[in-house]
Amino acid sequence: MTMTTSGLVLDVTETAPETNAEQRGRLANSADLYRRWERQQWAVAQVDPARDAPTWSALSPFSRDQMLGSLGELEVGEVTVTHTLGSLIDAPPTEDDRIFLCTQLADEARHVRFFQTYLEDGCRTSLDSVEEGADYAEVFTPELTRATDAVRADQQDREAWYRALVYYHLITEGVLAATALRTTRFLARRLKLVALEEGLTNVTRDESRHVSFGLRAAQDGVADGFGQVVGDAHFESLGVAAWVLIGPSRHNPVPALPMALRSRAAQLHGSVEIARERLVKQLRLVGLPELSEKAGAAWDLAVETALDAYAERWNAPHPIRAAAA
Amino acid sequence: MNTSDNSTLRAQVRRIVGEMSPLGAREARSEDRLVEELGYDSLAVIELSLRIEGEFPLADLGSKATPDITTVKDIEDFVDQEQVTATSDAA
Repeated sequence: MTMTTSGLVLDVTETAPETNAEQRGRLANSADLYRRWERQQWAVAQVDPARDAPTWSALSPFSRDQMLGSLGELEVGEVTVTHTLGSLIDAPPTEDDRIFLCTQLADEARHVRFFQTYLEDGCRTSLDSVEEGADYAEVFTPELTRATDAVRADQQDREAWYRALVYYHLITEGVLAATALRTTRFLARRLKLVALEEGLTNVTRDESRHVSFGLRAAQDGVADGFGQVVGDAHFESLGVAAWVLIGPSRHNPVPALPMALRSRAAQLHGSVEIARERLVKQLRLVGLPELSEKAGAAWDLAVETALDAYAERWNAPHPIRAAAA
Repeated sequence: MNTSDNSTLRAQVRRIVGEMSPLGAREARSEDRLVEELGYDSLAVIELSLRIEGEFPLADLGSKATPDITTVKDIEDFVDQEQVTATSDAA
């Protein structure tokens, strides 16, 4: 009885290929993605988050806490990216890249509005209460900001641009956001939060374009001789990514009923495995398959480090470890 | 725990399990299977566990092996056993 998500929701990298080039296995380019953006518009007002308010108020404390935790991390992540994307727009490799990145900035602004509106109108909760202590803000935002500031400092530094691209598009969006969106959409469907599921589906569709851009740009970068920095940036950032996913600062109750503990552990471990799979798959897609195995091992170690930190913080095992004991 | 307390505890467990059934609140019988007859999925089981823990003082199981739970009676037995243990520890 595991709450897996395979086959139930659309993943950001599982959209059907649209062009002949995509069908041949090449990733969509910026011009293709711009055209896709024009076709895939949506509005926060049309989603009408307030219609979930009655369902939200009837949720169990556990489900409500889980949802608020996920939505808080997603909202904080979206706010951060609107603050940092500008530096990537200033100095991209091509003009088509710049045009696409401008559409991405519009998307991220819409995502911020969606999450904020949903939290206020659907959940009837204050933003401050969910933003406080969000692991993404505490540990990943400083790293992303450092990477994007380096681009702003020297717009000719192509290595800095690719490093920031990896932190932004491939780790933040490709690994963390994609995993969080997939599991949160599944939970929204299970809890019959109709507006949330609809909104998250729209966000996932947008993120699919962003990740596709990141993959194609990184692939082109690897082909142009920037493979070292693209690979290094993955290894530099996956530790903090694992930390955000495990969330040592968030208390995760260990259910007493054995079947409940197994379910909870499977649910959490499932997220870790989804993220790992995405990390490894992305390295293959950008042209660095030789790094996949090492990255997988580094991810596993980073997860263990975060689980150790959890145990130290709460003086109790994380449910993943409690179930394995 | 005397017989009267025991049957009250078990009735309370059945009431909670029936109340939280994803199929809608209903009367749960001891022989009912959580998944097949009461519609419990992984999320509902977690919520049930946390609710049970909130209602009954249970012992810290640590690494103690526990039997699998598939029926309502299994939960009644679990709470009965673990609550008794907690009461004994406190004595």
